[in-house]
Amino acid sequence: MATALDTVSAIERKLAALRLADEGSRLRTNVMTHIAWVPEEWVEAAEDVLAGLAERHPSRTIVLFPQSAGAGLEGKVESESFPMSEGLTICTDTIRIRLHGTSAEHPASVVEPLLVPDLPVFLRWRGVPPFGESAFDELIGVADRLIVDSTEWPGLPKPYARMAEIFDRLAVSDIAWARTSRWRPMLASLWPAIAKVERIKVTGTEAQAQLLAGWLRSRLDRSIGLEHEPSNKLVGVELDGEPAPFPPGDPPIPADLLSDELDKLSRDPVYEAAVIAAV
Amino acid sequence: MALAEDQRIENPLLEGLQLSRRPEPCAMVIFGASGDLTKRKLFPALYSLAYRQLLPEKFGIVGVARTEESDDGFRERMKAAVQEFGRDDFRDDVWEWLADGMHYVAGTAEDGDDVFVHIDETLTDFDRDRGTSGNRVYYLAVPPPAFETIVKGIGKHRSKQGWTRLIVEKPFGHDLQSAQELNTLLHKHFDENEIFRIDHYLGKETVQNMLALRFANGIFEPIWNRQFVDHIQITVAETIGIEGRADYYEHAGAIRDIFQNHLLQLIALTAMEPPIDFAADSVRNEKVKVLKSMHTPGPKHVVRGQYGLGYIEGQEVPGYREEQGVDPSSMTETFIAAKLFVDNWRWADTPIYIRAGKRLARRETTIAIQFKGAPHPPFEEAAAEGLRPNVLLIHIQPDEGVSLAIGAKVPGQGLQIRTVHMDFLYGGAFRTDLPEAYERLLIDCMRGDASLFTREDEVIEQWQLVDAIVAFWRRDRPSFPNYAAGTWGPPSSDELLRRDGRSWRRH
Repeated sequence: MATALDTVSAIERKLAALRLADEGSRLRTNVMTHIAWVPEEWVEAAEDVLAGLAERHPSRTIVLFPQSAGAGLEGKVESESFPMSEGLTICTDTIRIRLHGTSAEHPASVVEPLLVPDLPVFLRWRGVPPFGESAFDELIGVADRLIVDSTEWPGLPKPYARMAEIFDRLAVSDIAWARTSRWRPMLASLWPAIAKVERIKVTGTEAQAQLLAGWLRSRLDRSIGLEHEPSNKLVGVELDGEPAPFPPGDPPIPADLLSDELDKLSRDPVYEAAVIAAV
Repeated sequence: MALAEDQRIENPLLEGLQLSRRPEPCAMVIFGASGDLTKRKLFPALYSLAYRQLLPEKFGIVGVARTEESDDGFRERMKAAVQEFGRDDFRDDVWEWLADGMHYVAGTAEDGDDVFVHIDETLTDFDRDRGTSGNRVYYLAVPPPAFETIVKGIGKHRSKQGWTRLIVEKPFGHDLQSAQELNTLLHKHFDENEIFRIDHYLGKETVQNMLALRFANGIFEPIWNRQFVDHIQITVAETIGIEGRADYYEHAGAIRDIFQNHLLQLIALTAMEPPIDFAADSVRNEKVKVLKSMHTPGPKHVVRGQYGLGYIEGQEVPGYREEQGVDPSSMTETFIAAKLFVDNWRWADTPIYIRAGKRLARRETTIAIQFKGAPHPPFEEAAAEGLRPNVLLIHIQPDEGVSLAIGAKVPGQGLQIRTVHMDFLYGGAFRTDLPEAYERLLIDCMRGDASLFTREDEVIEQWQLVDAIVAFWRRDRPSFPNYAAGTWGPPSSDELLRRDGRSWRRH
């Protein structure tokens, strides 16, 4: 990894230098800017998911590590190339920036000069977003889509109420919701019997339980009780005490889940209604 | 978990779900199951569709060919074909799912009705055991002389329940009359909406990207016309020879092999007006209008050629007349170039130069839109000598993508202009493997979507143009061979453009 860069201008110069250093056969096709906000406790998990993502979604990835101490910023820029057919390679940039002091409170001024112009901006936020705080507020101001994983959130369903407040500002993806995607068609196939369901029991994460219950309530437009049995993955659903059939196929891996969300550009009104009904 | 559309309307839980777009249950019957197409294209495509869980959940395949073979023998042969020609990893579980529903019926036209009775019995078993619901896709991967017997046989035994669709491989006729006769034969047993005439070029992602490029980008529409476009060049160049297909190629030549179908379809997609939507008939209506607007080129506007001995990738290759099975005095053309016009408001007087051939200098299918030059370049003549007109180049294969040639200042003192390329490489932006054309076309047929298949009236228009060209070819006898393998065709091809003060794109 290169030496740390302490200004945005230095990062921009480094990006330009890397670009000029490219061999002629490298391509810089980008489809988006991907910003990841990664507090210290999420660093390892975030790096695991980021590995391989750039290859699937040619993008400029800006990984922000907020730091509680110090001042200024420390940036590192990497250029990665991936082999393609016909002897060509595709090249993408990953910019890692440690944000200290005010730069952690006002990250938009750091990020905006580094966005790829005219392309969608995805913001991946690890942990519970600090709704109402300046850092979060600024970054959702520059992003087109926020990607969270409410599985990472304690105290559900309360944080959903805060998230619902930002639905009018940008599109939101929730990886916890994506993890229920195999189960929803299965439950939908139980129509019309499912229309009369009074109670749902979900064996899975708290987020999956809350979101599935919210989904049923919002779609069926009535109150439905929830019983949650904790498990680190979604392994069973009961409707009024009757087990629902297990859906076919294998659950997707985390990188695939994020990758799929990066292909979506518009709001998901069904998800938004499920979140509101989960509260 | 395919859910019906009527269920979607009343079931509120279906809103927003990305439901499987797997087609309805069906059985597929492939006539020509021992042929090259089945081995190289159809089964690898079926396997890739199975790999991605895109085939119907209830599905079965009947292979039909004259060779005696057991079900297991057929499965083993196709397994080897998938392993050799497939684009995906070979997975035993995927193959076993596909192979479990594979049967083989040996038979020929001489067997009369017996072979169709046997096929019908197998399909009835599929309906009972595999739930294929009487839905049928018949694929004619056989030479045209076999069409009539097969079409009659299918017509006689077609399922009384479910839907029936017929995929017809090219060549769709040999001339206008034979195409009309074939249409008449097909229409005795099938409605037009049951007939899927395949032109695999239309299944290519990059050909479909033409539609996206033109109709999803507002910047092109205002300049996509005679006012801004100087001319269009379409090249379909192959480095391979006839690959042992002398029987077919001797009768077809470049004009029937490439020009009649692929090239005219590329012209239609390039020149068509925006369709009102992407429904099958909306697109095809606009393509037919282009074909109807094309006037027959005069003899001076069409060049034909035949390759002689030459070099491909440094290796000596024989001339066409030396290829196995080819008449040593053959007059079959392996190259065609033409200057064509689409006589409508948008394209009047804008030449469309096309060239296609075998054993050319490199493999390439491209559409080049060459724009008119800037009206008054304020640069000194010497400063702009490296500047060429803007060209929007659509790469169909290989290197699928789009590039735009623009003029840019050379860094340094003074104002020197050079042409540079801005490239968009399809696979660079979307890091997924491009599906093979046959995958898209097979699944579209199973879904009943005929957008990427050729309609009867398109075929008729195509043959009218071809017949007119062939008619004046009968009146002269060019000196063949007239280009060396590994070159860009005969000198008269270059002359075709030079007369207009233009040249073929440099490569």
